Amino acid sequence: MALCACSFPAIVSCCAAASEPQKSTPFASHLLGGSDLGFHPLLKLNQVKKRSGGVYASLSEGAEYYSSRPPTPLLDTINYPIHMKNLSVKELKQLADELRSDVIFNVSKTGGHLGSSLGVVELTVALHYVFNAPRDKILWDVGHQSYPHKILTGRRDKMHTMRQTNGLAGFTKRAESEYDCFGTGHSSTTISAGLGMAVGRDLKGERNNVVAVIGDGAMTAGQAYEAMNNAGYLDSDMIVILNDNKQVSLPTANLDGPIPPVGALSSALSRLQSNRPLRELREVAKGVTKQIGGPMHELAAKVDEYARGMISGSGSTLFEELGLYYIGPVDGHNIDDLVSILKEVKTTKTTGPVLIHVVTEKGRGYPYAERADDKYHGVVKFDPATGKQFKGSSVTQSYTTYFAEALIAEAEADKNIVAIHAAMGGGTGLNLFLRRFPERCFDVGIAEQHAVTFAAGLACEGLKPFCAIYSSFMQRAYDQVVHDVDLQKLPVRFAMDRAGLVGADGPTHCGAFDVTFMACLPNMVVMAPSDEAELFHMVATAAAIDDRPSCFRYPRGNGIGVQLPPGNKGVPLEIGKGRVLIEGERVALLGYGSAVQSCLAAASLLESHGLKLTVVDARFCKPLDHSLIRELAKSHEVLITVEEGSIGGFGSHVAQFLALDGLLDGKVKWRPVVLPDRYIDHGSPADQLAEAGLTPSHIAATVFNVLGQKREALGIMSSRN
Amino acid sequence: MMRCGYGLVALPGTDARLFSPEPSFLRLPRTVHPVRIKFGSFKIRAKIGEARKEVSFYDMLGISEKGTLPEIKQAYKQLARKYHPDVSPPDRVEEYTERFIRVQEAYETLSDPRRKALYDKDLALGLHLAFSARRRYQFDEDLEDQSEWRNRWQSQLSELKRRNMSRDAGGNMSWGARMRRQREELSKQV
Repeated sequence: MALCACSFPAIVSCCAAASEPQKSTPFASHLLGGSDLGFHPLLKLNQVKKRSGGVYASLSEGAEYYSSRPPTPLLDTINYPIHMKNLSVKELKQLADELRSDVIFNVSKTGGHLGSSLGVVELTVALHYVFNAPRDKILWDVGHQSYPHKILTGRRDKMHTMRQTNGLAGFTKRAESEYDCFGTGHSSTTISAGLGMAVGRDLKGERNNVVAVIGDGAMTAGQAYEAMNNAGYLDSDMIVILNDNKQVSLPTANLDGPIPPVGALSSALSRLQSNRPLRELREVAKGVTKQIGGPMHELAAKVDEYARGMISGSGSTLFEELGLYYIGPVDGHNIDDLVSILKEVKTTKTTGPVLIHVVTEKGRGYPYAERADDKYHGVVKFDPATGKQFKGSSVTQSYTTYFAEALIAEAEADKNIVAIHAAMGGGTGLNLFLRRFPERCFDVGIAEQHAVTFAAGLACEGLKPFCAIYSSFMQRAYDQVVHDVDLQKLPVRFAMDRAGLVGADGPTHCGAFDVTFMACLPNMVVMAPSDEAELFHMVATAAAIDDRPSCFRYPRGNGIGVQLPPGNKGVPLEIGKGRVLIEGERVALLGYGSAVQSCLAAASLLESHGLKLTVVDARFCKPLDHSLIRELAKSHEVLITVEEGSIGGFGSHVAQFLALDGLLDGKVKWRPVVLPDRYIDHGSPADQLAEAGLTPSHIAATVFNVLGQKREALGIMSSRN
Repeated sequence: MMRCGYGLVALPGTDARLFSPEPSFLRLPRTVHPVRIKFGSFKIRAKIGEARKEVSFYDMLGISEKGTLPEIKQAYKQLARKYHPDVSPPDRVEEYTERFIRVQEAYETLSDPRRKALYDKDLALGLHLAFSARRRYQFDEDLEDQSEWRNRWQSQLSELKRRNMSRDAGGNMSWGARMRRQREELSKQV
């Protein structure tokens, strides 16, 4: 009994002991020993204690979670949502607990998104219990919280392949299952898609439900409002579930602690949650209604509605104004509440669009995630019992980190440099910049379009904005890049991380198109570093280009290990000039960006076959190094351009120049090596490169093929491992 | 428009006497509730309740009311080390254990900014309900939140049902309403 008051580390032993009859010694001596892990409020203790019913594996000493998978008798009987229909609410709670442990153990083996999935376990169970997927459509915004959904919809046995080659996708994917009705990955799309599905259903005269689950972070994007506005106008029946866990940016923490939510919307939502309604006011209003009675029904209804508007707080009127009926806030971890609300809304015939505001806790149910600043949003493989992640060690750091360091060095020298990102402080490395220059780093929430035009505005005032947006997310802001930045020739610098293939996240996050859509813009300078030192120089170059917009792209992954410039300060490069890395003959490989490394590897492969290739790092796609390309075309038989991008990018620009310059009329043969004309599925980076045909072996084989040595080409391809 | 904050405006045609005066709605959101017992901790609370002293948390820790978090932490650590049962003199284990528990409670409340704020407010109002009310700051608030939330969404749901009755009536010409009417007509024909 006294044990329960103890909030020292090793709560576990408290719990285990508490369930046994009274022990005479209130405290075990090992409790005070060891490091002070900080204070665990009693609430957490009770949470762990709440697990009643069901069989549980034992908790080991010093650990706060199970070390081996606990038995999941109820979850074992559920393959599809239809198997849940006969469960009682008590059993649903048990199911939720088992589902939670299943998610934790699965993600511990494969890595992936943990915190968000844990926050929606109860919601997923309630949704599948009340609604009848796949006829009823359930859409998951972004999709990284869909792990419990996948487990409940027939994919539990494949969870160990999550995010791996030929395995389950980390986001919802239509091709994977009929229960995934819309593919997500970028945020804020589900209300739009859901509305489309609802309208389609109406046009066909059918009666199923459409439910779109969207987070409070995704609500900061404009598209959500566009969709809600339209939904309110069309008045089609659909349910929007706002999953509010007060985590608006990613990661949910910066280097020094949790990030306070960005934007005015978050505080509005908080007010909604904490608003203490004056129930008495409503009672009085009801009393008024009764008194009025009789022929004043309509007026009474209005009184009711106004009173409700007051009680619900000013925030909900935003959704009401857009035309959605607001219900909430609701405790998102209470299955009773969720089931009763969803049932009520489902059985109400003509609702129009309804918004249910559900409050959840990210990482709920896994003590380490609950406590972590970043709530274990994205993790690699970890040990469930201790929460320790198995992060690999590497000699070099990621390009993201190098970019942040380069930008900090530039900003030290030039006080006009500012950085902008769209809710991706960790992913873009700008959390480091934020720590160093808190007043010069801007997180605008998930709003890439606004970020770009905001940067344009800053540039108008003479500042030097660096917009760090993933290559794939830049797609969302394309018109702003063209119209607001390039057309007016404003010097905004775009740092596009995750260019090329990105591995486990798959095609939704793949940056295949940025060279194409940036290089076709008349005023844009387009460049790409081939290694981390080049990245430092290009950041310096971009900082120096002050009369026109510029951009540079770099891949996911770590540097190759070249020497960095002193003091992390790069030297601006001469614009429009490439560099020759290896002087050779007959065949020239003209690489752009990280593909240069593959070219170097291909060249060394071919050396053993007696070929000495020329390898060139183009550095700039726009403006091209015309004299260098002319030189290469004139002195080689074969010119192969290599890039990790789609058609229409670097290779196409080179071909255009060759054609216009008359160089294609001579003897040189030009061949492009680009990403194929299809989406490359998620998998390990090596697998993806092989699938795309961009490995050094592929490049070497291409060389042989062009030279007419088909046999050697086949040899290279079959001997690669 | 009735949306003028918490004041009430008389609607045309209603008797203003029907509205109660404002101040009654503005009473403190937190009144003294009877102590709510959480299962599993009944025995310990009974234990503490026996020896309740009206000492504030700050006095307990030996710091001033303006103590900063590091000061609070330090004070707590010192006292915890002093009163921990393992290091306390054998003849005074019981007493020291109780103190230890209370010191811990004090630290828990004062180290959480939210709970500290609530505690300070109550202290200023002269309501010192330290130990028995410890739970209040945590669970009661949550439970209160919960029941208020529940009431709110229950009334929202009933409002939704009520609205449902008249929704697609003649006047509503939204696209959705038209489609729903169409669908109803089709199903009636079948």
